[in-house]
Amino acid sequence: MSGIAAKLQHDRERSQGIGSNSQAVKYLNQDFEALRRSCLERGQLFEDDCFEALPSSLGFNELGPSSYKVRGVTWKRPTEFCSDPKFIAENATRTDICQGALGDCWLLAAIASLTLNKQVLYRVVPHDQSFEENYAGIFHFEFWQFGEWVDVVVDDRLPTRDGELLFVHSAEGSEFWSALLEKAYAKLNGCYEALSGGSTTEGFEDFTGGIAESHNLSDSNPHLFKIIKKALERGSLLGCSIDITSSADSEAVTHSKLVKGHAYSVTGADQVEYRGEMVQLIRIRNPWGQVEWNGAWSDNSSEWRYINDDDRERLTNRSEDGEFWMSFSDFLREYSRVEICNLTPDALSGDEFKKWAETEFEETWRQGVSAGGCRNFPDSFWTNPQFVMKLEDVDDDPNDDEEGCTFIVGLMQKNKRRKRKIGEDMETIGFAIYDLPEEYSGKRQVHLKKNFFLRNRSSARSETFINLREVCSRFCLPPGEYLIVPSTFEPNKNGDFYVRVLSEKQADFQEIDDPVDCHVEQIDIDEDDISDRFKSLFGQLAGQDVEISAFELQRILNKVVARRNDIKTSGFSLTTCRNMVNLLDRLRFSMTIFVKKDGSGKLGLVEFKILWTKIDRFLGLFKERDTDQSGCMSSSEMRMAIEDAGFTLNNALHQIIVARYSESSLSIDFDNFVCCLVRLESLFNTFKTLDKDDSGEIELNFLEWINLAML
Amino acid sequence: QFTPSDPPPPRRPLNFAEAHENDEEKKFRRVFHQLAGDDMEVSPKELKDILNKIISKHGNLKTDGFSIESCRSMVAVMDSDSTGKLGFHEFKYLWNNIKKWQSIYLSHDSDRSGVIGAGELPHAFKAAGFPLNDDLFKMIIRRYSDEHGDMDFDNFIGCLVRLDAMCRAFKTLDKDNNGTINLDVKEWLQLTMYS
Repeated sequence: MSGIAAKLQHDRERSQGIGSNSQAVKYLNQDFEALRRSCLERGQLFEDDCFEALPSSLGFNELGPSSYKVRGVTWKRPTEFCSDPKFIAENATRTDICQGALGDCWLLAAIASLTLNKQVLYRVVPHDQSFEENYAGIFHFEFWQFGEWVDVVVDDRLPTRDGELLFVHSAEGSEFWSALLEKAYAKLNGCYEALSGGSTTEGFEDFTGGIAESHNLSDSNPHLFKIIKKALERGSLLGCSIDITSSADSEAVTHSKLVKGHAYSVTGADQVEYRGEMVQLIRIRNPWGQVEWNGAWSDNSSEWRYINDDDRERLTNRSEDGEFWMSFSDFLREYSRVEICNLTPDALSGDEFKKWAETEFEETWRQGVSAGGCRNFPDSFWTNPQFVMKLEDVDDDPNDDEEGCTFIVGLMQKNKRRKRKIGEDMETIGFAIYDLPEEYSGKRQVHLKKNFFLRNRSSARSETFINLREVCSRFCLPPGEYLIVPSTFEPNKNGDFYVRVLSEKQADFQEIDDPVDCHVEQIDIDEDDISDRFKSLFGQLAGQDVEISAFELQRILNKVVARRNDIKTSGFSLTTCRNMVNLLDRLRFSMTIFVKKDGSGKLGLVEFKILWTKIDRFLGLFKERDTDQSGCMSSSEMRMAIEDAGFTLNNALHQIIVARYSESSLSIDFDNFVCCLVRLESLFNTFKTLDKDDSGEIELNFLEWINLAML
Repeated sequence: QFTPSDPPPPRRPLNFAEAHENDEEKKFRRVFHQLAGDDMEVSPKELKDILNKIISKHGNLKTDGFSIESCRSMVAVMDSDSTGKLGFHEFKYLWNNIKKWQSIYLSHDSDRSGVIGAGELPHAFKAAGFPLNDDLFKMIIRRYSDEHGDMDFDNFIGCLVRLDAMCRAFKTLDKDNNGTINLDVKEWLQLTMYS
């Protein structure tokens, strides 16, 4: 809202660690501690004016204000309809989560998996909350949203009908952490109905900040067993399920006692020698706490008799607790998919788990500048943001037949205008990975251009381009430097995205972009160098005061460009002319040939000659770079022209230039072209002048800032 | 010593906003939808058309019309995601300010000339919440007034929009309130190029 400044401040806060789990961003600026304190002092229960107990908080369509489904709904605090409400009774367990009248089973399955990992659960559900001590009707939860942890507060007014919770409730009916968690997540998404329909992986990610992969078992990765084993070692959350073809199949139990359309957790993987052969086993848990597989390697099966005593001792557990072993080959046949949520290092403390190394980047695609589309669009593909990743150490894995560095890339689109229906407003996204050629090795600040991508094939890429929130793929490549190029499928789709790379060993990862610098060639002209013809021309133009003002300059330039039909222009604006005068004024200041007249804002002979020479160069540049001779600059031609003019800029600045100077057709005409280059040079000069000690940073007080910013 | 207009409240979920709109706001939202089209974003060209349509109805405001350049600049200082367009909230904020500044303009044009002369300017800016020093006025007159030192309506609005945005930018970046901001060259260019 405060324009670019807000974005810069956000970046600064991110780099200071705000948004990490220990310093979560306060959602809608609501501070839990402060709000609770003030409620306690006033002796009132919290009423959240940002997510009110109103029909609009329930939904918009099926749960909309006029829907029969919400008839008779009243918002009540647990203390009003439950004699002894508890936030958490003893332990948070999966029985605390029973689905209500909302199609958010994906979310509940994710919450259920969460209860299996206490450390992760405590981050989402801070446990020092209760209906007794310091109770003020306010609770808070932490969620991960596109790279940031946000702290969301809610009041405890919950939608009820006939004295019972409408949505999630605990089996006992007196435990409320899950219902309040659901409310907080609904607030974050706009309303309860926005939670309807989704994938468990999305819930996994928003609770852990991890990257969730989904593996289809009918066509699985040959290394899947190893991947699962490693995932377990890393404390990842794993789920598996059997697909259903119709809703009648949901929770149907097969003859071997497996439940279809139901979310299981994977809790172990191991290998044993069985009759002289190595067999891979996997341990699975039914969150019901009962109904177990009755085939090979189940609790009482005969297979256990033919393995050695140590293995048997280590693995067997014959009780009806919902947990059972099966062979990995049976698993692949019986189940349809495995979802693995790989946790980032900050999610795990202590040494019991091996950790992934994580690196992340936020960037944007913008029409005409950095929204280049996929490789099918060679003219613009290169303009996409580019990242370099350096893989140095191969995996520690002596049994592996494939030597390389394993890493996972997750490309997530941020969906700020969070539309209610999943799939809406999502762009089709994906990424490609290239070997970085040796000549670029170590040189990070080079944005690779069109020719590179025409001549080189990608060495890996995302499996597909898809309109999901996140595309995620696992790769194993030899050590080396690689370029990752995320894009939308079609060019010119605006979007904000977030890229994460999890690597088994530490990897170096950075955005490559050109260094921001200016090396415009200075024009040195002495009065003696100026021809008599030019002098007399100047005399005519300048009139009596022998100087040219911005107003005069505007008239002169527009007369000149009006005569040319090879360049398009809507005429020089007074602002552009003022900018030119300012640029030259500053030069005069430094040249000291002229005595600085108190900001007269006019050009003398030498300055005018310099300006004239500049404009002549701009014209040459414009013509030369306008390769399709359209009379204006397309935004990719502009990028190259800016470089020719002596500037190197980063992605953010290229985006700004197109946003500021292009027409709706994304082209830049001659007057805007000149205006942009003049302003750039002038701003670089100002910065260099202010940065007296060459520290690369300037300090400004309010008046200095306003003085400069109003120019 | 400056009092830029209040920053807008934090963005609320869409349904929150809709549930809390009064009739005037609901009407405004409908109008916005018509102006902005399906993408619900206002481009500089659209802004120019809207503003010029409005001022053509007011005979007492002297103006040569909002130029595309000044509309580009207004969009730039308000836009936070570098799409080059304004969303509903930004546009509403801009709109409310323009309404406020329009009445200041009229009440400070004491000689009914239709423009704000150099002598009237300090009072008008002070009324808008920007008491500036002499040097700043000199600079602003050079930048926004015509050859005679008079400021017409479109330049008045263009200048205040920018001034307000730059004050807010400073406040945003001066998080610790110590009265100074530090910028590296990238930040400096992003802030000043996009204005």
